[in-house]
Amino acid sequence: MDPECSRLLPALCAVLVDPRQPVADDTCLEKLLDWFKTVTEAGPSLLLLQENPCLVELLFRVLKAHDPHPRVLSFSLRLAGLFAAQEDCFQYLQQGELLPMLFGEAGPLGGAAWTAPTVRSGWLQGLRSLAQHPSALLFLADCGAVDTIFSLQGDSSLFVASAAGQLLVHILALAMQSPAEGHPSPQGCDWPACAQKIVCHVEDSLHSTATPQVTQALNVLTTTFGHCHGPWTQGLWVRLSPLVACLLEKDPIPASHSLMDLLLSVARSPVGSSDCGLWETLAQTLSHLSPIQAGPLALGILKLQDCPQALKTQAFGVLLQPLACVLKAAAQSPGPPGFPEGATGDSMTVDTFLSSKSACVGLLCQALAHLELLQLLPQRPSPWPQAPLLRAAVAILRFCNGSAAPTSDVGGHLCAVLAGCVRVQRAALDFLGTLSQGTGPQELVTQVFAVLLEYLTSPDSSPTVQVLKKAFQATLRWLLGSPKAPSCCDLDPHTQLFLRELLPVLRKRLCSPCWEARDSGLEFLTQVTRHWGEVPELTRQLLRDPESYVRASAVTATGQLSSWGLYTTPTSPEHPEVQQESLFTELLHILSTDSEGFPRRAVMQVFTQWLKDGHADVAEDLEQFVARVLQVASRDLDWEVRAQGLELALVFLEQLLGHPGSRCPYAVALPEAAAPATLAQVLQALCRVQLFEFALRALFDCDRPVAQKSCDLLLFLRAKATPCGGPQEAGASPDVVSVEAALQRWQAGEQGQPLGELEPEAVMAVLRSMDLEGLRGTLAKSSDHIEKSPQSLLQDLLASVGVLGENEADCY
Amino acid sequence: MPEIRVTPLGAGQDVGRSCILVSIGGKNVMLDCGMHMGFSDDRRFPDFSYITRNGRLTDFLDCVIISHFHLDHCGALPYFSEMVGYDGPIYMTQPTQAICPILLEDYRKIAVDKKGEANFFTSQMIKDCMKKVVAVHLHQTVQVDDELEIKAYYAGHVLGAAMFQIKVGSESVVYTGDYNMTPDRHLGAAWIDKCRPNLLITESTYATTIRDSKRCRERDFLKKVHETVERGGKVLIPVFALGRAQELCILLETFWERMDLKAPIYFSTGLTEKANHYYKLFIPWTNQKIRKTFVQRNMFEFKHIKAFDRAFADSPGPMVVFATPGMLHAGQSLQIFRKWAGSERNMVIMPGYCVQGTVGHKILSGQRKLEMEGRQVLEVKMQVEYMSFSAHADAKGIMQLVGQAEPENVLLVHGEAKKMEFLKQKIEQEFRVSCYMPANGETVTLSTSPSIPVGISLGLLKREMAQGLLPDAKKPRLLHGTLIMKDSNFRLVSSEQALKELGLSEHQLRFTCRVHLHDTRKEQETALRVYSHLKSVLKDHCVQHLPDGSVTVESILIQAAAHSEDPSTKVLLVSWTYQDEELGSYLTSLLKKGLPQAS
Repeated sequence: MDPECSRLLPALCAVLVDPRQPVADDTCLEKLLDWFKTVTEAGPSLLLLQENPCLVELLFRVLKAHDPHPRVLSFSLRLAGLFAAQEDCFQYLQQGELLPMLFGEAGPLGGAAWTAPTVRSGWLQGLRSLAQHPSALLFLADCGAVDTIFSLQGDSSLFVASAAGQLLVHILALAMQSPAEGHPSPQGCDWPACAQKIVCHVEDSLHSTATPQVTQALNVLTTTFGHCHGPWTQGLWVRLSPLVACLLEKDPIPASHSLMDLLLSVARSPVGSSDCGLWETLAQTLSHLSPIQAGPLALGILKLQDCPQALKTQAFGVLLQPLACVLKAAAQSPGPPGFPEGATGDSMTVDTFLSSKSACVGLLCQALAHLELLQLLPQRPSPWPQAPLLRAAVAILRFCNGSAAPTSDVGGHLCAVLAGCVRVQRAALDFLGTLSQGTGPQELVTQVFAVLLEYLTSPDSSPTVQVLKKAFQATLRWLLGSPKAPSCCDLDPHTQLFLRELLPVLRKRLCSPCWEARDSGLEFLTQVTRHWGEVPELTRQLLRDPESYVRASAVTATGQLSSWGLYTTPTSPEHPEVQQESLFTELLHILSTDSEGFPRRAVMQVFTQWLKDGHADVAEDLEQFVARVLQVASRDLDWEVRAQGLELALVFLEQLLGHPGSRCPYAVALPEAAAPATLAQVLQALCRVQLFEFALRALFDCDRPVAQKSCDLLLFLRAKATPCGGPQEAGASPDVVSVEAALQRWQAGEQGQPLGELEPEAVMAVLRSMDLEGLRGTLAKSSDHIEKSPQSLLQDLLASVGVLGENEADCY
Repeated sequence: MPEIRVTPLGAGQDVGRSCILVSIGGKNVMLDCGMHMGFSDDRRFPDFSYITRNGRLTDFLDCVIISHFHLDHCGALPYFSEMVGYDGPIYMTQPTQAICPILLEDYRKIAVDKKGEANFFTSQMIKDCMKKVVAVHLHQTVQVDDELEIKAYYAGHVLGAAMFQIKVGSESVVYTGDYNMTPDRHLGAAWIDKCRPNLLITESTYATTIRDSKRCRERDFLKKVHETVERGGKVLIPVFALGRAQELCILLETFWERMDLKAPIYFSTGLTEKANHYYKLFIPWTNQKIRKTFVQRNMFEFKHIKAFDRAFADSPGPMVVFATPGMLHAGQSLQIFRKWAGSERNMVIMPGYCVQGTVGHKILSGQRKLEMEGRQVLEVKMQVEYMSFSAHADAKGIMQLVGQAEPENVLLVHGEAKKMEFLKQKIEQEFRVSCYMPANGETVTLSTSPSIPVGISLGLLKREMAQGLLPDAKKPRLLHGTLIMKDSNFRLVSSEQALKELGLSEHQLRFTCRVHLHDTRKEQETALRVYSHLKSVLKDHCVQHLPDGSVTVESILIQAAAHSEDPSTKVLLVSWTYQDEELGSYLTSLLKKGLPQAS
């Protein structure tokens, strides 16, 4: 431990036990524990306690205190646990009988403080840390802790109850690993007493008629099979599986969710692969559960790596049921929906659909979400029923927007229940989007586009922008997912027709009073423009949108259009070059005047991309472009814009230094870049665009990332310049002196005068003399690394005694 | 038995990271989704894994409601919606929706870009999250689905802050978020109608405090700024871009105007314009005074407050600078602080709470030698002042709100356990309602008596109306009918209709009673005496003496018989149908008093 911390520790311990000095900030104790954790992990705890006797004294004094603050008591329990995790330190604390006093019956367990959940939680966490070695097991048995943990499983606090369950698993695993007991047989007759006790408790709980108890036992087992993979788990399952099977026979099945979790956890563990009975149990459970309960289990089964095909088919059938029902209900004429056998819309699912609106909506949303997840998995069922799934998604969306004409009773019911249901619409659009990864018969794809267009057009999609946004996303996926067509001319006629119909819709959406709608529309446009050249005017208008998010998206969209040469306005076709010039000016104007950061950042990104792509107009007068952008960016108050400026400077630098193929694949496109420009020429150019002044100023920026970027840039430049045999040392020329003086002023935080014209030699001399590596090291640390240090924490704790009392609750 | 369950994941007996789960009428709602500024790891967010073990969050939660834009109420929202995977609706007021992303962006910058934290939400995520928001108007009932509805009430505290009523059927919960019961310089006082919810969840930051008037604090603040400027010093006020900053700007602006001061006031962030834009936009949310003067002059168009340029910090002479961030933990405010800290003529005023691990926290706890990068030590000679401007209801205000809403139960959050304990007792004593204060992770369960809507048949109502009296809310009347439960519907109909509908035949049920009378005369004579007595007493009823000797009053039949053992006693056998139960019991009691002596 740091000597300064050691020095501060006694005073801190004294403050902690002083009831008149409440600990001001509840995060401090947590942070103290974090620090002690790193200290105990890094070295012997015993030594720590011996060198800092105030720590043990703290624990004693907290115990003796008449009415200790629950937070401090909880802290002490956790601290003691951290120390006792090492066996020698555990023995040391045992000599003073400290541990029984803290964790035994005589401790807080029987006291008034126990009513505070934080104390119970601290007690459990302390034991969790402590339970690392055989001595700890003996201790747990002696002080009767396990019984207390049993009772805490039903604690009123979720956190405490969950921690108790996890601690039981931890103790069970520790007992079973314990070398003192040798290798326990899987059967369980020679299991250590502690493990026996826990397993018997689990058995009793599984027998219980009270559902909470059953749930607790199942959760413990789920965690056990999830985390422990020793051979003993096999024996445990052999012993307990009959009890679990009994639960499945009850009607209704108690704690069905937890039970499913357990079955899946076992199936994923090594135990599962050796137990054929398990697959039968799973199959049986699937058929017993209601459709809504069976969904998660079916998905879990389908995610399993090795599992019998028959079970997978059954599980897939369960997931498909609701959609099969929908298809049946939507069918104009009777016919097979095209799903695999077993998924024909059984009566249970129909009953659920008819029982209530919330059940129907819940079941559909769940099925759609599960199938969406499944579609993305490598182990998804094969063959994948793409066509019927597409039909079902379209049918659901049509039920929702009222354009379906149902012929059956169930169809009529679905129509009534789903009309305008936002939840189902969102889920179905998401699912439809995912389905774009596969193909489908043309007639179906046409239907998909038709229904998407309905959603994009419908005014009903507007009040809940979520639906509109999802419709845009799904449309985009269908457009881009189409295997054909990187450009407009390759598109199949259907898609082209669709795009044509989409234009008026978009025009309307981009004028929506709702910024969310305008922005989603623009985002969609930006993505889709590679297919389509009629949008520049639409996006240009939105450069003046009142909402900054929208302006930023418009900047990105126009920038991209311009990159592809699509940014031409129909108003002045005879002067395309004037128009192009005006876009640069327009974006530069946004960069210098927009009051908000998002559009300005977007402009910088566009400019950087232009530079990288060798945008025609940038290449025309490269230096002027860079100089003007850097000049504006350097004055920006938003540090992200300044950081982007450095990014742009770096691209420029790389292009000048010209290493085609290595770091800058676009540099070949530039006229000068490929030429072996001498370093002197490069440096001259950098001076002309005032890149040095920009970078050097940024080096002392109050915002760390800017300084960091600048440091990287200058290091890169220096590394490039040195081996090439740069200009001669300029020595202590007047130029060097003035640059260094300016640097000192900037470092002190003064803005000062600009550097003006610089000689490359002087700049290089300054760069060589600077400790840029050292600076980079400092900047790599987080901006609050000093305030976050343990010394700082201890100082703060000591300093805030009695001072912050009044301010404490004054959050905002 | 239906119940309401409440589990705080944050703000249970603490301040910071508000996040409260409420189950009501089978619906699950999350109230606020805040973060804790004091942590820089997972602990800063509530542990969302406790929301449900079963299934997807979006399926489980019906909606998320955000009370206001402070980060301890909304800071975890993009994380929750874009990284944890909640995809359902989020409700907040319009100003909150507009301002939230600014603060989230501010926070993201510090966390990700300045501290280099990975696995954090991006700008795009903030935007996507905001697109999931459904904005609500004050007092507008928003239907989340067929059963769940919510309604926002004005909460003061900060621009756009709202209290929310959550209602399913006849059950309801009100969540206050943070609120202020006294108007301040730019906002009005919180208000709610007498909605008598089953449960009121209220913040309790100042559970034991009666706060002095804000005027005093403001005067104090202005005095300190003025004094410093007068002696040529510089004043630094670290703020977050929105909220407190605007309040203090109005304060200084009016003071400068009144005193005709010349020292410049600067605001150091590009966000001011946007912030002020929102304050202008949401003028209906501010207090009456601002709204009134708005016609002549917009309070948020500042004459004296100008945008800051980094070079200004080095200028000589007095000035006041508002700079972000508010806890002096990075950026502009920290840079200016470093420059000015060395002079005792200068002053820094911290107008809000600072978490441990920030320079703001250090100087507020009195540390004057601060370690800086590279083993440098910064000696703080400038004056350090703390000014609490936080706008929470104090103990009096909380009691006032409980009185206003008249809840059946109260649950305290967003406060300290010890202070809550005190307030809890006070509330229980004064209002005779149960008061709860669960810790984080603890669940409070309240049983509610459901009220089930019942349709009354028109026939029954008409018959009731035919009895003449008009319905009167203050004079409840008994209405007899038959309750039919069919197709999960409840209907109250006349018994005749019920019989008809259910295809049942009627059973006649008569109540009987024996009254013993001392009368030596014959039975017929006794009956006759009864007849004349009743005839004289019950003038409005039809009293008949039948040929068989019995007497009837409406459906009530009275027969006289001799007593088997005592010839001087006659037994009156009284019987009536249930429709005439009232009259029957009246007659019995009348007869029990005996007959008048024959004149």
